[in-house]
Amino acid sequence: MKTDVLIIGGGVTGLFTAVSLLEQGCRNIVIIEKSYIGSGGTFRCATGIRASFTSREHVNVMKRAIDLWPEYARKLGFLYRRDGYLWVLTRERDVEFFKQVVEFHHSLGVPSRMISPEEVREIVPSINTNGILAAVYDPLAGKAQVFNAVLNAVIHLKRNNINVYEGMRALKISDEGSRIVVETNKGRVEADKVIVAAGKDSANLLKGLGVELPIHNLAKHVLITEAFKPVIKPLIIDWSSSSYILQVFHGNIYIGSDIPEKYDEPAVNKYMFLEKAAKVWTRYFPWLGEVYVLRYWTGYYDMTPDHHPIIGPLEENENILVAAGFSGHGFMMAPAVAEALTQYILGGKPTIPEFENLKPDRFKKGKLIKEIAVFG
Amino acid sequence: MNVGIDPRKVIVCRCENVTLADVLNAIESGLDNLEVLKRKLRIGMGQCQGQTCLLLVAGILARKTGKSFDEVLIPRNRPPISPVKVKYFIGDER
Ligand SMILES: Cc1cc2nc3c(=O)[nH]c(=O)nc-3n(C[C@H](O)[C@H](O)[C@H](O)COP(=O)(O)OP(=O)(O)OC[C@H]3O[C@@H](n4cnc5c(N)ncnc54)[C@H](O)[C@@H]3O)c2cc1C
Repeated sequence: MKTDVLIIGGGVTGLFTAVSLLEQGCRNIVIIEKSYIGSGGTFRCATGIRASFTSREHVNVMKRAIDLWPEYARKLGFLYRRDGYLWVLTRERDVEFFKQVVEFHHSLGVPSRMISPEEVREIVPSINTNGILAAVYDPLAGKAQVFNAVLNAVIHLKRNNINVYEGMRALKISDEGSRIVVETNKGRVEADKVIVAAGKDSANLLKGLGVELPIHNLAKHVLITEAFKPVIKPLIIDWSSSSYILQVFHGNIYIGSDIPEKYDEPAVNKYMFLEKAAKVWTRYFPWLGEVYVLRYWTGYYDMTPDHHPIIGPLEENENILVAAGFSGHGFMMAPAVAEALTQYILGGKPTIPEFENLKPDRFKKGKLIKEIAVFG
Repeated sequence: MNVGIDPRKVIVCRCENVTLADVLNAIESGLDNLEVLKRKLRIGMGQCQGQTCLLLVAGILARKTGKSFDEVLIPRNRPPISPVKVKYFIGDER
């Protein structure tokens, strides 16, 4: 099989990139996914979208993504809404820290602000604010429907005669001069350009070319309850316990909570997670105790040393591009990443200059991304 | 598939109110495995966790695509097997 662009990985990154390339008139694209579409991080994610970060790179890339999300929602037919993010703070030192964070946000045009417990109750009427000293509210942040975003992208691509192959695994990438050759479990694919958007597996695939990408998987735990009418609008983070809660568009309540995990250990279900999630969130929402848990699953964050993704062409061969290591933020970024990869493929530079700081060679060159503080 | 009745009136998943027509349309749009059909239609994601609909949809999918029943991927079950209230996970406060 021959193609202009081969995309390895059928997650949100690979699929949105194909949609963006198609928009720019590039029609000869093949996507291969080793399992089923979305089976990596994508279908497990909380769907949160925000620009309130602590590095210039994250802020500017996410702001671009937030500009693009409504266009994707319209084009592909899924829900996206700016329902906000809310960080609830229960310790004095956290309030002091977040004052600096808010100042940083303002310097880059992100409209977050410090609010009182009374204002928290106005935004989330059913919350118990006992113990909350203050909160940070980001009204530009929001959420989107992940299943429809990704599966409608697949339907859109198939309608435009772009092949999306499931159950097809890339085994080896080689550079044969004028073309890149990818061996798969279902035969060879030759391509002018290859985009590796395969999460941590991207590192294994590129090792064969002598390129080292420092990506490690970190297990994360999530539960979801039965569905209700809208009761909680923003995504809420309890900063001191590293836990979050949001109500997805379908109405289910989605809860994530950190428990101790080590890099590259298998993700297995742990009772400790259910206990922590229940304890933290029934304190804020006593009614939650009576709600039924439907499912508990795990997933991986593909982490890099500076918690920022690796995006762009390889220094060694600019016909091979990477987009991986999203460190827990790859869903929200996807429309901006798709645009930047399209610009690289078409021979240009990304609209958002900070993408150039995310290139794969930054680790080798010791140019890691700096944050004002290390942050969720 | 000829079932002799209007597929828009045949309910396949009672929890999420999914009809046979929804299933057939999704398969025709190119979503041809159970894992993606589950997420597109929400079959198996309701209160009963797919106890009736998943097998029905697997059957429809096998017939529509000509695959054998075994080839039609069966989604992994997520715990708990049946819904449990949040308060039961809180445990003893010592
Ligand atoms: C619990 C949880 C909550 C999250 N919450 C959020 C959130 O609120 N907001 C946010 O922005 N992000 C969130 N994330 C992170 C987000 O889900 C990911 O960053 C994002 O989905 C990454 O998309 P991707 O396409 O790059 O990778 P993936 O979705 O992992 O896709 C990579 C794909 O490549 C395939 N693949 C791997 N190797 C090969 C191979 N050799 N050949 C072919 N295919 C291959 C995999 O099967 C996989 O489907 C969360 C993640 C988790 C686990």
